[in-house]
Amino acid sequence: MNTDIKNFIKGIVKENPTFVIMLGMCPTLAVTTQFINALSMGIGVIFVLLLSNIIISILKNLIPNSIRIPCYIVIISAFVTILEMLFHAFLPEVYNSLGVYLPLIVVNCIILGRAEAFASKNNVINSIFDALGMGLGFTLSLSFISLIREAIGNGTITLFPIGRWSGVIKIPILNNSPIRVLALPAGALLFMGYMKALFDYLSSKRKKI
Amino acid sequence: MKLFFKTALVLGLICSISGAILVLVNNITSDRIELNEFNKLNLALNKVSFNNNISDKVEVTDNHSIDSYYNLMDFKTNSLKGYILSLKGNGYGGEISLLASYDTKGNIMAVELISNSETPGVGKKAENKGYMDKYIGKGSDIAIPLNKNQLSDPDKNLVSGATITFTSISKMLNEGSFFVKNLGEKNEY
Repeated sequence: MNTDIKNFIKGIVKENPTFVIMLGMCPTLAVTTQFINALSMGIGVIFVLLLSNIIISILKNLIPNSIRIPCYIVIISAFVTILEMLFHAFLPEVYNSLGVYLPLIVVNCIILGRAEAFASKNNVINSIFDALGMGLGFTLSLSFISLIREAIGNGTITLFPIGRWSGVIKIPILNNSPIRVLALPAGALLFMGYMKALFDYLSSKRKKI
Repeated sequence: MKLFFKTALVLGLICSISGAILVLVNNITSDRIELNEFNKLNLALNKVSFNNNISDKVEVTDNHSIDSYYNLMDFKTNSLKGYILSLKGNGYGGEISLLASYDTKGNIMAVELISNSETPGVGKKAENKGYMDKYIGKGSDIAIPLNKNQLSDPDKNLVSGATITFTSISKMLNEGSFFVKNLGEKNEY
């Protein structure tokens, strides 16, 4: 298979940042209470991951080894601040709903992890595909967790409001008697545990084959 | 020595370029952000004033919860109908700011959340429509609920998992009510 496609696909299943590498757990557990928050967070991470991977890959030969981590953090935090300002100015609803987790993208382990493990050792094109794959893998995982948690834990699915429609889909039966623990932090850990077990089972099965 | 200078130069360059880009983006977005904040405040003022007339802002310096207030004047008779208070307090994730209108006796008429850094899906439920309904009409004859046990069962469910946010908002509104009662007494003399 083409290396670019391999780099892209590995982030979605084989090296999924959330369920396999277990990176970025803090935002995963915190923002997956609503589908729209998870999706917005995912898009934010793709933006920062893509740009930081490109810049770090370009500058990899210029940055001395001893100061590589401070340099990566400066680059990543600059992109996060740009994203924060853009959201604040043009998407104030998303900015308000993500709250403190938007600036916390700076310390999201996926971004620093990919900068250190991939972008600093590979060329720009490979780094772009790695960032897109990892970012998409993270977004899909977050969206999946939030769909389950919000639907079962709250009986709703929150999307973007369009015109007069508030963007909230109410699920019959579950809306009146939701299993509230899933919407709470303990439910997030419980659900993540089951998902990790499932991914481990699938990967062990693949190894046997 | 050469490595030392190269290290300092690279880090300095990266920081300077990042800073310059941030200045550029800030210049592009700052006006828009300011306009958003202004519109948000105006919308909230309209909601809590019920289209009555609002006086100029009066700054408050000796109260840790109240930033400023506006006199609320009846749109027909222009008599004093109540006050709109700009309240600030600490929630779970940082500062919470509110706009609340009170009648002259200190009863809450309407509350609007201006800004908060609460946890999405937990403390941020305070942004939901209907969250502030439990405070309306309270403050003078009926006490403002300061404890989860003072709430009805549906309201208890609404604040469960986010008690710190609820307690913080309740305390702010309660202080606001006291402040308005004092203002009313001052105005009577």
